[in-house]
Amino acid sequence: MQRFNFPVVQPDPALEELRSELQAFLKEERDAGNFRPEPECWMASSDTEFSKKMGKRGWIGLTWSSKYGGHDKTALERYIVTEETLRAGAPVGAHWIADRQHAPMLLEHGTEEQKLDILPRIAAGECYFAIGLSEPGAGSDLANVKTKAEKVEGGWKVNGQKIWSSGAHISHYMVAILRTSPADGRNRHVGLSQIMIDLSLPGVTIKPITDLSGDAHFNEVYFEDVIVPDDCLLGEEGGGWKQVTGELAMERSGPERFLSSYITLETALHQLRGKLGSDSHGRLGKLIANLRTLRGMSWGIANLLHQGVSPETEAALVKDLGNRLENDLTLQVRALLNDLPEEEWSDEMRRILNIGILRSPPNTLRGGTTEVMRGITARQLGLR
Amino acid sequence: MINTEGMVAETAAKIYTDLCGREVPHEAEAGQYPQALWDALAENGLPLAWVSEDNGGFGADYDEVFGAIWVSAEAASPVPFAETLIANWLLDRAGISIPDGASTFALLDGNAASVPFAGTADRVAVYDSSKNEIALYKTADASAADGQALSPDSDTRLDFSTATPVASAATNLSRRAVEPLILTVRAVQMASAIEAALNLSIAYVSDREQFGRPLSKFQAIQHQLAVAASESAAATMAATQAASALARNADDPEKAWHEAVVAKVQIGHSVEAVTVPFHQVHGAMGYTQEYDLHHYTRRLWGWRDTLGNEHHWSKLLGAELAVTSPDQIWKGVTTGAWIAS
Repeated sequence: MQRFNFPVVQPDPALEELRSELQAFLKEERDAGNFRPEPECWMASSDTEFSKKMGKRGWIGLTWSSKYGGHDKTALERYIVTEETLRAGAPVGAHWIADRQHAPMLLEHGTEEQKLDILPRIAAGECYFAIGLSEPGAGSDLANVKTKAEKVEGGWKVNGQKIWSSGAHISHYMVAILRTSPADGRNRHVGLSQIMIDLSLPGVTIKPITDLSGDAHFNEVYFEDVIVPDDCLLGEEGGGWKQVTGELAMERSGPERFLSSYITLETALHQLRGKLGSDSHGRLGKLIANLRTLRGMSWGIANLLHQGVSPETEAALVKDLGNRLENDLTLQVRALLNDLPEEEWSDEMRRILNIGILRSPPNTLRGGTTEVMRGITARQLGLR
Repeated sequence: MINTEGMVAETAAKIYTDLCGREVPHEAEAGQYPQALWDALAENGLPLAWVSEDNGGFGADYDEVFGAIWVSAEAASPVPFAETLIANWLLDRAGISIPDGASTFALLDGNAASVPFAGTADRVAVYDSSKNEIALYKTADASAADGQALSPDSDTRLDFSTATPVASAATNLSRRAVEPLILTVRAVQMASAIEAALNLSIAYVSDREQFGRPLSKFQAIQHQLAVAASESAAATMAATQAASALARNADDPEKAWHEAVVAKVQIGHSVEAVTVPFHQVHGAMGYTQEYDLHHYTRRLWGWRDTLGNEHHWSKLLGAELAVTSPDQIWKGVTTGAWIAS
C-alpha cells in the first residue's frame, strides 16, 4: 500500500477551452495597460476594477449555485482560472480570499439571507473578505488568540486585535476566530468560534502595515466594543478550531502555493528564448521538471477534493514543496539571466524580478509556516 | 500513485512476499542467489508481461506491469526482474524470440555501454541507435570493466567489440522511443525504494531511544523526515505521471519522452535529498551491511545513473525548453503536452 495518494488526472477539453478564454482576456487586459504583472499577485496586487471585470466574465464564484450569483461549475474550473491569473501576475488580490475561502464557508454555515445578500456580490467582484486569524500573541501558536466575543442581547460584543490581515483595508468583512468561552484547562482548542464581522461597524479600526518594500497590503484590525449580530456566528459555537484547521488544510494545495512567482520565470523565458548557454540548460530543465511534478500533485489533490476526499497529508506536503520551489524559482531566474548582457534586460524584467525578491519572505510563512507544515507532516507520519 | 491492483501486480506481490523476505537480499549478496524467486516469476510468465502474444508473451498494458515493478523494488529485488522486462520488450520489438532466463539491457554508445545487473543476467539485449539494430548477446561474451559497483544491480561498463551476438535484427525504434520505457521503469523503482526507505526510517526513529526518549520525538528528526516525505511523494507523482504518459502513448512511446525525462530529473535530483536524512537519522547503524537501509540507498545511488545522471538529463530537457516558446512550456507544465500539436 502506497503512503501517498496523488492520482494522475488528464486534462479535460472543456477545461482547456476555459483556459484559452482566460488567456485571451488576460493578454488583452495586459496589452491595454490595464494591469502590470506582479509576482505574489493574489496576496499583494489588488485592483477592484479588475475584480469587477473578472466578476462580469463569470470567473468569480464559479463553484456555487446561480441562486446565489454563482456559476454552477466545479472546483476544477476554478483551479484553471486561478492558475491562469497567477501565471499572468494579474491583480486578483481583492477578490481572491472571499472566492477561495469565505464564500464556501458562508455556503456551509451562513443563513439564507446572508447567502442571498453576500454571495452574489462576491461573485460580481464587488465584495471582499479578510482573514482574521493571527494576533500579536498568536502566530504559529494560533490557539493562543485572545480577541474575545462576549454574548450580549441579540449578538456578540467583540474586543481585541487581529494582525497581518491582507486586504482588510479594502474588505467589507472579516471572518475572525475569536474566543467565545474560556479554554478548558490546558485544552485551548475549545471555546473558539468563527464570527463574520462587518468591517464598517462602529468600533472597528483598520491600520495598514507597510511591508519592507513600502507597499501596504496587510493590516492591523482593532475591535472596541463592536456589536455583531447573532447570525454572524459561522458554524458551531466553540467549534471554530476544527473549522479553521479543516479550512487551512483545504487551501494548502492550491496553485498559489507554487505558482506565485511563475510570472518572473515567464518574463525571463520571453527574454531568454534561444539565448541560454549550455550551463543554464540544466537549471532550466530541473526547474521545469519540479514545476511539472508539483502541478501534477496539486491538480491530483484538486481532483480528490472535487470527489469529496480531503487528503490532508498530501496538501501539507504540497505547500512545503511548493513554497520552497517558489523561492528557488526566483533565485534560478537570477542565475539564468546571467546569460543575457545586462543592457538587454527589459525594464519589465528588472521590475518583476525585484518585486519577486522583495515579496519572497512571506511565501514560507502565510497559511502555516514551513515549520508548522513539517510538524503536521511529522504527526501524520506517526512521529509525534 | 502507481496502481498495484490487477493480476500482474498482485501475482508479483504474492511471489515477493513469499520468496523475498528481508533476509533474501542479504543472502543474495552473500552469494546465495534466490533462484526460487526467479523461477516463481518465470513460471508465472511475469518477465514476458510486455512481450506480444505472437512471441509467447501476454501483451499486458504498461500500467498493469508498473505495479509489479513497484512491488519488486519495495522488496529490494535481488533478481533482474525489471531489467528482463525491458530486455524482452526490446527483443520483442525487433521480432527476436525471447530467451529463457534473466536478461538485462544496454543502449550502446560506440562499442560499450553501462549495463545494470551485468553480473547476474545471462543475456543482454543491446540497442544500437547508430545501426538501428537490436541484438541479443550472452553477457559473458562481453568484456566487463573492473571496478567498484554501487550496488548488486548497478551499472557495469561492458565492451561488446569482440563479442558476437546470438541474434540480431533491424529496428525502426528511435532512441527517443526506447528511452521513455527505461526511464519510467527506473522512476517507478526509485519512487518505490524511496518510500520503502522512508518507512524503515520512521520505524527506526520510533524505536531507537537516546536522551531517554525515542528519536522520533526530537523536532530536528521530525523535520528531516517530513522533508524526505515530501520528496518521496513528489517522486511517486513524477513516476506515476511518466507511467501514465507511456500507457497513453503505447503505440508511439516517443510522445511519452518528456514526462519520462521530467521523472528522471525530478527523482534523480531528489536522491540526495532523501538518502542524506535517511542515513542521518539511522546513525552508524544505517552504515552497516547487517541493517537493511543500504538495500535501498545503494540502489538509489546506482539507479540515478541509468542512461546518464540527473545533470545530463536536466541539460537535455533544458536545451529543448530553451528554444521552446513560453506558451508551450506553460502548456507542458499544466497539461503535459510538451510538443505543439
